[in-house]
Amino acid sequence: MRVRSLDDLKAIAQRALEKLCGRRIRIAVGLATCGIATGAEEVYSAFLKGIESLKRDILLTKVGCIGYCREEPIVNVVIPGKALLLLSRVRPEDASEILKNLIDGDVPREKIVCRVKEWDHLLEKIHYGDGFTDVSLYEDTPFFKHQRKIVLRNAGIINPEDIEEYIAVGGYRSLYKALTEMTPEMVIEEVKRSGLRGRGGAGFPTGLKWEITAKSESDERYIICNADEGDPGAYMNRNEMESDPHSLIEGMIIGGYAIGAKEGIIYVRAEYPLAISRLQIAIEQSRRYGLLGENIFGTDFSFDIRIVKGAGAFVCGEETAMIASIEGETGRPRPRPPFPAEKGLWGKPTNINNVETWCNIPVIVYKGGEWFSKIGTKNNTGTKVFSLVGEVQRVGLVEVPLGTSLKRIVYDIGNGCPDGLKVKAVQIGGPSGGCIPEGLLDIPVDYESLKEVGSIMGSGGMVVMSERTSMVETAAFFVSFTSEESCGKCAPCREGLKQMLNILNKILMGKGSPSDLELLKELSETIKTTSLCGLGQTAPNPVLTTIKYFKEEYEELIKRYD
Amino acid sequence: MISLRIDGRLIKAEEGERVLQIAIREGIDIPHLCYHEAFEEPYGSCRLCIVELKEGGSSRITTSCTLMAREGMEIKTDTPEVIKHRKLLLELYLAQAPLSNNIKKLAERYGIKGTRFHKTLNLEDPLGGKCILCGLCIRACREIIKASAIGYIGRGEATRINTPFLEENPDCIGCGSCANICPTEAISFEDRDKRRIMRSWSNTQVNLKICKLCGHPFTPEPLWLKVKEKSTYTPSEEIEEVCPNCRIKIVSKRLVKPYSL
Repeated sequence: MRVRSLDDLKAIAQRALEKLCGRRIRIAVGLATCGIATGAEEVYSAFLKGIESLKRDILLTKVGCIGYCREEPIVNVVIPGKALLLLSRVRPEDASEILKNLIDGDVPREKIVCRVKEWDHLLEKIHYGDGFTDVSLYEDTPFFKHQRKIVLRNAGIINPEDIEEYIAVGGYRSLYKALTEMTPEMVIEEVKRSGLRGRGGAGFPTGLKWEITAKSESDERYIICNADEGDPGAYMNRNEMESDPHSLIEGMIIGGYAIGAKEGIIYVRAEYPLAISRLQIAIEQSRRYGLLGENIFGTDFSFDIRIVKGAGAFVCGEETAMIASIEGETGRPRPRPPFPAEKGLWGKPTNINNVETWCNIPVIVYKGGEWFSKIGTKNNTGTKVFSLVGEVQRVGLVEVPLGTSLKRIVYDIGNGCPDGLKVKAVQIGGPSGGCIPEGLLDIPVDYESLKEVGSIMGSGGMVVMSERTSMVETAAFFVSFTSEESCGKCAPCREGLKQMLNILNKILMGKGSPSDLELLKELSETIKTTSLCGLGQTAPNPVLTTIKYFKEEYEELIKRYD
Repeated sequence: MISLRIDGRLIKAEEGERVLQIAIREGIDIPHLCYHEAFEEPYGSCRLCIVELKEGGSSRITTSCTLMAREGMEIKTDTPEVIKHRKLLLELYLAQAPLSNNIKKLAERYGIKGTRFHKTLNLEDPLGGKCILCGLCIRACREIIKASAIGYIGRGEATRINTPFLEENPDCIGCGSCANICPTEAISFEDRDKRRIMRSWSNTQVNLKICKLCGHPFTPEPLWLKVKEKSTYTPSEEIEEVCPNCRIKIVSKRLVKPYSL
């Protein structure tokens, strides 16, 4: 059906709410890539078979990922009127036992992680109910306790392949508000007021970027979603797209309206097949419901989105390289200025934002910039999703308000290293980030504090390293990554990183000399200062920070040779 | 018109003009390898033309080929910081192109005799040891000649320049613009019998046009055809398929022999 009014949206929401917490038992299997990797598809099949043989009216559905990677496969169940329960490490052989219990109004206790009485989707709240009072509450569970979900507000709760469930939790209401109650300038103003900064890592104020693009003289404008996530150990965007693709799409439509674009492009890496297929489903559904295409909500605003798949180059996450790639050229960065906001795709003003930035937009438009700006800290508003990985006990995707300390994330949420090992450092910001030593984990996670200690916010990869990690090897690993992924256009990045890796390997082989350490520093400074794009400008960070904080490890390796 | 300062000199320029262009015009020496006046857009790959830009109280280092002139800009082309980075870049180039005399000469101008970096010499690459991947040959072939016979292969440190799949490329017209524009003299070709052999480009062979008078080959045939097609000037049939030497003879004969006779 074509949605034309708020009443249409409400009618769909009413209908779909029945699926989320209706009169039937609902079993939702977490089927994002992480879940599938641990066997969630088999779990889904086992439930399907079990339900068929029981001949009971139980709703089996798929959801995205709630972020608790360590506990996958995760299944959530709702018995009508009772709290939603999160079950962990569910195996196919558990299905029949769980089903039997569910029919009796119960759930095997040892599988339960926590219960959810009420879920705040921010645009809508879903009240599930009480029951299972002996089970700890979601908000008391250590992994979830310190989190605040804005971007991931729907992840792991709704079916990402069902637009109606998204509408049930308030979806597309922000779009309705923007198109019918706000001018494009008002939308930009609201985003500016929110203080939202680019979540791709550089932290440029989003509202300002929109405004520059909107004000650039042109008959055509484009918006692009950067979904070319490629940092080792980072998978925030993947989950955002796999678990809640409509949130991204709604954000982009609103952005298109504010900026004056008729076409949006999602540039997503081909290595994310599930994200691509869910986005495709979501785009087709939105078109069918009239939320993409001509005259959205009966207004004179028309907008559509298409997907462009990346071909496996890390550098295409850099915006000018991405534009070149979309135009069919090799993914090599172009000199800036001109900036994409003035002269981007096909020479037209273009606004590029990361997946996570777009996902924040529907919430900002609906709740207001003012509301958003109160989360986080003064110049670092809102939340940020991090993939907490490496040598950490509770591996997962966590969303915290900006300004949360690294300690809180690593220890309170992540519970430190396994096997009683001590945390040595945390690597933030992917290959362009830096290694922050344990002693500095008190710093708040915000764009400026991370920069001060030599790292960057980056897209949100957070790799915890224990005392048994060699920092020189870590630096060499990241340099080998950036050296291989350098596009090869400019000399400092291409030649400099190659030589940097040579020197690091020499040191690691025990053949380094004190002058190598000096040369590393000198080389780092030149690569940072003279590289053409962000890749080269930040690639020496792992080397610089490890020399700064773990110099003794370099010296130890060098001394052995002397 | 706007005015800016380069190394203290007040210079008038058009707004948006690139600083390197202005410097070249004004006789201010900024080293560069990937810039060439034939192209409208800068490419920004060699990074040697870095300068220090002072504007509105802050200063930063940036490439002058990409920098657009604005009123009140202050540019310094040889601060210690700029020189430091330029020298290190030259050391990197010395390691990448140890066989290039032009790179050696440029480095010597900055007092650099050797490099602290590991020298690489890829013997499989016909350009190895000389090419610095500045991209001028590719741009000339594509943007000016419009043949697109060569391009980058691979990425990162494995980048090289050649024909697609390292096969002979019939798109090459043998014009030699690539070799002509190369700042490190890395590209070579030779004329053998009635063929031009592009040694650097997978030994692509191009037929040479034979002078109908003396029988000597004088220019690549596809280049001759291209010029004929593009040119607005139509030479007389008498001299059309004739080599420059024979043309001179014909024309000079004409000049000494009055038409009336």
